[in-house]
Amino acid sequence: MSDQTNNYDVLVVGGGIAGEETALNLANIGYKIIMVEKDLSIGGKMIHLSKVFPTLDCSACITTPKVSETARHPNISIFTNSEVGEIEKISENNFTAILTQKPRYVTEDCTGCQLCEEACPVSVEDQFQYELVGRKAAYIPFSIANPRIAAIDIENCILCGLCEKVCPADCIDFTQEAIKTKINIKSVVMATGYQIFDPTIITRYGFGKFKNVVTAMQMERQLVPTRPFNAVLRPKDGKMPDNIAYVLCTGSRDDTVGNPICSQVCCMYSTKQAQLLMGALPMADVTIYYIHVRAFGKGFCEFYNQTVGMGVEYIKGKIGKIDEAENGDLIVRYEDIESGKVKEAKHDLVVLATGILANRDYQSMFKNIVLEPDKFNYVKQVNDLSSPSKTSIGGVFVAGTASGPMDIPDSILSAGAASAETASYLRRAYNEK
Amino acid sequence: MEDITKPKEAKILVFSTEKISDPAIDLAGLLKMHYPPKVYTINVPCSSAVKPRWVMHAFEKGFDGVFIAADGTDCSYSEKCTDNTSALITLIHTQMKEKGMDPAKLKMAAICSVCAEPFVKHMINFASFLSNIKSN
Amino acid sequence: MKNKIGVYICQCGSNISDYVDVEKVKEAVMAEDVVLLSKTTMFACADSTQKEMASDIKEQNLDGLVVASCSPKLHLYTFRNVAIRAGLNPYNYVQVNIREQCSWAHSDKPKDATEKAIKLVLAGIHRAKHSVALKKQKISSENTVIVVGAGIAGMRSSIELANMGSQVYLIEREHFVGGRTSQWNELFTTGETGRDVISELYKQIKSNSNITLFTGAEVVSKSGSVGNFEIQVKITPRYIKPDCELDMEKFEKVLEVCPIEVEDDFNFGLNKRKAIYKNYPSEFPEIPAIDDKTCTRCGECVKLCPEIDFEQKVETLNLIAGAILLTTGFDPYEPKEGEFGYKTVDSVITLQQMKRLIELNNKELIYNGKKISKIGYIYCVGSRQSDGENKYCSRYCCTSAIHTGIITKEKYKNIQNFHFNRGIRTYGKQELLYHEASESGDVFLQFFDDTTPSITMNGKGPKVIIEDFLTKGKEIEVDLDLLVLVTGMVPRKERRISDILKVPIGRDKFYNEIHPKLRPVETVIDGVHIAGACQSPKNITESVKSALAAAAKANSLISKGEIELEPTLAIIDKSKCKSSGDCIKICPYDAIRTVEHDGKTVSEVNNSSCKGCGMCIPVCPENAIQLIGYTDIEIESMIEALI
Repeated sequence: MSDQTNNYDVLVVGGGIAGEETALNLANIGYKIIMVEKDLSIGGKMIHLSKVFPTLDCSACITTPKVSETARHPNISIFTNSEVGEIEKISENNFTAILTQKPRYVTEDCTGCQLCEEACPVSVEDQFQYELVGRKAAYIPFSIANPRIAAIDIENCILCGLCEKVCPADCIDFTQEAIKTKINIKSVVMATGYQIFDPTIITRYGFGKFKNVVTAMQMERQLVPTRPFNAVLRPKDGKMPDNIAYVLCTGSRDDTVGNPICSQVCCMYSTKQAQLLMGALPMADVTIYYIHVRAFGKGFCEFYNQTVGMGVEYIKGKIGKIDEAENGDLIVRYEDIESGKVKEAKHDLVVLATGILANRDYQSMFKNIVLEPDKFNYVKQVNDLSSPSKTSIGGVFVAGTASGPMDIPDSILSAGAASAETASYLRRAYNEK
Repeated sequence: MEDITKPKEAKILVFSTEKISDPAIDLAGLLKMHYPPKVYTINVPCSSAVKPRWVMHAFEKGFDGVFIAADGTDCSYSEKCTDNTSALITLIHTQMKEKGMDPAKLKMAAICSVCAEPFVKHMINFASFLSNIKSN
Repeated sequence: MKNKIGVYICQCGSNISDYVDVEKVKEAVMAEDVVLLSKTTMFACADSTQKEMASDIKEQNLDGLVVASCSPKLHLYTFRNVAIRAGLNPYNYVQVNIREQCSWAHSDKPKDATEKAIKLVLAGIHRAKHSVALKKQKISSENTVIVVGAGIAGMRSSIELANMGSQVYLIEREHFVGGRTSQWNELFTTGETGRDVISELYKQIKSNSNITLFTGAEVVSKSGSVGNFEIQVKITPRYIKPDCELDMEKFEKVLEVCPIEVEDDFNFGLNKRKAIYKNYPSEFPEIPAIDDKTCTRCGECVKLCPEIDFEQKVETLNLIAGAILLTTGFDPYEPKEGEFGYKTVDSVITLQQMKRLIELNNKELIYNGKKISKIGYIYCVGSRQSDGENKYCSRYCCTSAIHTGIITKEKYKNIQNFHFNRGIRTYGKQELLYHEASESGDVFLQFFDDTTPSITMNGKGPKVIIEDFLTKGKEIEVDLDLLVLVTGMVPRKERRISDILKVPIGRDKFYNEIHPKLRPVETVIDGVHIAGACQSPKNITESVKSALAAAAKANSLISKGEIELEPTLAIIDKSKCKSSGDCIKICPYDAIRTVEHDGKTVSEVNNSSCKGCGMCIPVCPENAIQLIGYTDIEIESMIEALI
């Protein structure tokens, strides 16, 4: 690659909804963007969701147009399956970084025909379906992935070569190696998103031990139109559940797991899933154990009221312990705040409304300079009142959940703010030159 | 002589929308889900843009059924899309009745951009419904 | 009509050719007389094939191009670009989907798939046959934005727009900037006061040559559309010469002589102010203003201060802008008389009044001459109403009330806070405040909407009787010195601007965006954006975020000097139009208007507002409207090809 092609105006780290919105805004103004995504496809977490609150529009329907617009935009270069590191500030408007493109072992000529997938004899757990089902070692990440090209999961590949034989376009290339490139950029937007709380830490909830205790993301995948089983099933015996419980604040507002803050989305996504479940399983009872219902955004409170009206039961209670009965049902022991008594209830499926944690990946991306974290390891906003996307490094901005828990509408607004502040920074530095 | 023991395959014209329902029909193919091959699709920007005369033209030329794969609430143009499309359907139904046609030959359903499975189900059911009235 | 069409049928490796007999398709297609050449190819999208197509177009002088391959979602733009490179208009290109919607969907029935592919390609050929060359429309655009409302959202977006290179007219109805933010004292999370934040922003605005600020200014009419709005603004003078320097001593004397006293809106009626006023000493612009509505022109002030000038006249300005941004903010909910004792029980005030009260009382907290120590807060007043019409949550008030409680404790001695709430909603990092308040001994009592607390007078102050959640069935009585009603946000009462601009209003009566996730700061009126609390309740950070997001959208829309529009628009045949008005009613973009044509009134599409959705075309009783790219002849000939 010649040096000239490695110059960009903005490095956007992360290809989720916040990264896409930022990149599109800046690209539409006319700036050249390099977007680096560590996964095989852009689209972030949002592309995997079912319907989204409070409008219940289908998440994929909202994400995919943005994804394809980003992919198609002449001012945006996307590197998936890639990482960025050694971001260094030389001066204002002058940064360098090292881009590492990890091998995919499939060239970009792939037409997404899936013949390699059919031929591949290896089966492993599918990370994009949150381990609910399996996938092959030669695989298209998921049906609406972008780019929709295959990849070889080299860690699980047995190098049998069957994929190579069936590929009609000759795209399989086991000789690919990681490519490191130095890039020159004028500013950086961190849109690195969040991590989902791992509930195995809270042993008393039995996640990982009791199969019918699932995370909200696993439930989300079962409610998506492209869902793996085509029905909502409980994992242990494939039975259709008819008495489902939600445990709110799993890993949020909880000092004992080191996360005292509220995740902002779990009350509402659980409320939404409850509505979808009532559609998918009309006979099922849904109970939501909560501390406070945080239905604060535009249209949220109305949505919550509607859900209560549909018959979802909200119990103000703290969960003490979950045990498994012989048939796989779960005994939920909770403190009923209304009566002050400890009670027990039986459910056949428990969904843990897992919270949002900071994605700390950004902390190792910088060289000779530190991008300061806040108390909870999110990227610190140095002036969150009047310049919400400014960070401790001039010229480095933050968008979306990289700076704290947020729902989708707020992430999109935050990305809008980051694009405006980045555009101003680029122009100011340009004018001063 | 027509073989009346075997129902005829019905020809269906689908009006799909570029951003919402057509991607669902694509997805059905992508997932190798099968539906009757005599289903043909014409793309329009929005399901509220289907002219009644196009539907009537399709019937006149020999289509057995017309299916409008509507945007529903996902429409990016107007939140009134569902209402507008429904009003069109009512209008076309009236025109069909005036010509002595069975209004059930025109169907509408909201198809979201990943609703591949509902689309396939609609096609299979609609085709068998139309074949039945055709061979009767 | 096109009659030299080139058709390429893709095998897509074997994805198509395994089920569709592409050679058969090619032969069937060749029989069409408008087809000049027909080829099959292993990969239509391959670079070599693209080059072959381009040279075919040039050498054979093709006037239409059809590629039958995968879904147009994947390669429509790839092949449009091939057309462009070869000098063919991209709108004379048609992509036919014979993979997702044919070979894959019917891989179980290859024979039928081939038959279907032939029909689909024929329909594509018909579409190409009737296609017309189109050009993307361009309209010129002023790189200027009119921002209405100089609160935090308006000020912040103006600065960002100016920094991005747009000209800004910032229009404020009041004589001073800052909106609601300037009324608040210490703010969460930075600890700055609202005044500090506003002063800093004002300095940035004054030093930025791209921004022109108008105070006492109101939008009175609008014409034009995106790119070129013409806005008429009425400016009420301050009646003080603009070059005068503020002499505080003199100003205080003037205040003394002014005989007019009116309710002080800035302090939510906690006190009175004069007809000549400044809400606080460091308020901007520096010069005081005379309230036109209440001043009697007695002339007492002029005697002391010759800079006062009653000769100043109301002015009207015409401004031209490419885009508009509304940041008109909110009103606090005004409780009804008797609602939780408001105006019927002594010492019952609103949260907004409480904030001003803290500002006005430095050492001790005094209300109505009485020292305050026991303070109660009743939450969700005017929000989450089960009977009233405000069903929504006002979002900022839980945090704001808790924060106010904390500040009160920090500033004054012996304060005790009671929070009568309906479930605290301190979402995200705001949770820490709730922690802090609980730790410091604030009492939180929760009620439901069917057990709302009742308020009576206990002789000294208000008494709250509540059936707390934890003590269900038992009533608790709390004697207080002051009861604060945590009043939420409601849309501004004064909303002429939305009538003028035709901004849609949502269920909650706030301005409505096109889509909360896809286009959260745009309205269906092209070029008109919304931000801050006029769209829905928001705290300061959230208002600023939406303000900056709107700045980015507006700037990218107009900064190139021209706006490119897709050529797929509706066109009205004026000779057929009988002006039924049905199209005007159904258009979601306000893009159709009536004009005079050949002595009759007809409808006309405004090309710069039309989005090409086609909603108007089926409703015309005269069939006078065609959507470009979807004309009757195109669709009907496709139908004929498919049968």
